[in-house]
Amino acid sequence: MNSKTSAKRFLALYFVIFFGAVFLRVDYFPLSWVPMYGYRHLSETLTVKFGDLSVRSRGLLAQRANGQTLFVSADDLNIPSGHFRRMFHQRVFNDGPPQDDRERLELASFNRWWYETFVGPDPRLNRNHSRQVLTSVNGTFGYEPGDPQRIVRLEAPVEFATYTRDQLASGDLIHPAIERRTAIITENGSFVRRGNGAIERMPDGIRPTGAIE
Amino acid sequence: MNRSESDKSRRSLVDRFFFDWHDAEALGAVRFYFGIGLAAYLVYQYTQLLRLDAFGEHFVFTRPIWYFWLLGIDTHVSWLPFIVAPIMVAACLYFAFGKWTKPAIIVVILCIFYMKGARDSFTGDVHHREIPIFAMLVLFFFSKCDRMFGIDARKRNWRPIQDWEASWPLRAMQVYIAMFYFWALIAKLRLSGLDWFSAGGRIQDMLIARAVRDGFTPTGDVVNLSLAWDLAQNPQAVFWIGLLVFAFELLFPIILFVRDWRIKLFMLIGAALFHVSNFVLLSVDFLLYPFVFVAFFNMNRFHEWAKSKLRLKRPALAAS
Repeated sequence: MNSKTSAKRFLALYFVIFFGAVFLRVDYFPLSWVPMYGYRHLSETLTVKFGDLSVRSRGLLAQRANGQTLFVSADDLNIPSGHFRRMFHQRVFNDGPPQDDRERLELASFNRWWYETFVGPDPRLNRNHSRQVLTSVNGTFGYEPGDPQRIVRLEAPVEFATYTRDQLASGDLIHPAIERRTAIITENGSFVRRGNGAIERMPDGIRPTGAIE
Repeated sequence: MNRSESDKSRRSLVDRFFFDWHDAEALGAVRFYFGIGLAAYLVYQYTQLLRLDAFGEHFVFTRPIWYFWLLGIDTHVSWLPFIVAPIMVAACLYFAFGKWTKPAIIVVILCIFYMKGARDSFTGDVHHREIPIFAMLVLFFFSKCDRMFGIDARKRNWRPIQDWEASWPLRAMQVYIAMFYFWALIAKLRLSGLDWFSAGGRIQDMLIARAVRDGFTPTGDVVNLSLAWDLAQNPQAVFWIGLLVFAFELLFPIILFVRDWRIKLFMLIGAALFHVSNFVLLSVDFLLYPFVFVAFFNMNRFHEWAKSKLRLKRPALAAS
């Protein structure tokens, strides 16, 4: 910029682009409206996941098409442990990344129009995260469909702890209601086995409440 | 009123805000310290990729970041970060020392796109830690940051730039950094309203979720983030912390109108503490982000001060 006028024009363009993203609620790198931890789903309860490092380090319980069972760990997949935790706690339970929750919430009509026109439908309408884990695991190991070595079933057990608002307000975090749920992903669909033994199909639409992490 | 003062008063607010704030030497010095900090920051951000087995499995991403998806990149090539990372660090240092500065900026940006893309595509959680960095690098690129305080500037004997040429990019960086906090507050209000702060608020929810995600020891303590667990059991304290966050994010842009370096330093130490707390309590990894705050100071004066201190020290050491 060799003159103040050209510098001012550049600054105008710069701020229109970077701050325009804020008004348009764009959250695609390198632009952002900085929503990071801005979403709070206020409900009567708070559900969180009690992790277990030893269970998680062992990995996902997997079954091959030939019936053999094994564990698939972060080291086997060669991915960072934080990402394996997200896979174990969230994706296998069909929970997407948090930006999906933020993207379409409380949209102004103009924002909704441009998102649906240029980006597509709400990503939460057709969640397929659990199935994607199975696809990624097989893809990583190079197993083709029809390969007897391929993984046809994955399982991940996690304890879901639910606090009431009264417990949270009093700081009583020792006595949540705990339910062990096991995500079961197969080639024919994804399921959750609840603590009482009941097996349900994994929800794939927008969930009313979710466990946070 | 002398002539220069009357000239100044005739200039618009925008002119005074962007063009009359810094000396010519400041931009190059900020580039130097920013570049050094950037190398450390980026290595820290991508260490997780460098801990993987370079010759291990190539993971098929569960959800590639948008530009990987557009380019058809759906697999993590596990040896590639071991090549990209040294190039990235070298480019940061070239940028810092003012050697091939502009090409170095392009290389750094390309490396960030690749490394961030790889990191954020494993399971699809997109992090925001490189967004202000990118915005600042764009400003460095379009400024004359290479004209002073660098190897090329010295070798090619470039003529010094004027004060206004150094001032506007630094002021634009400051605006971006300060508004980043303010927009974060606006986003909270747009998404959750005041519910974000009510009772223990979102902070208590996060403290609990983060503290328990690695489970408990046999004695019933959380494995990690025990401070977060203890704090979450005191919702009153968490509420006041939430109010502090509200006030910090709302008022931080005031720094844009502060000229006294001591007040700025005080405010930025507060911001740095905010990031350290987020890291210690919630594992939110903006820990080294405060290095960007060098953009708020005339780092040339700091550099001269540091050099004079070192010069004073050397004879003292020699005498001893």
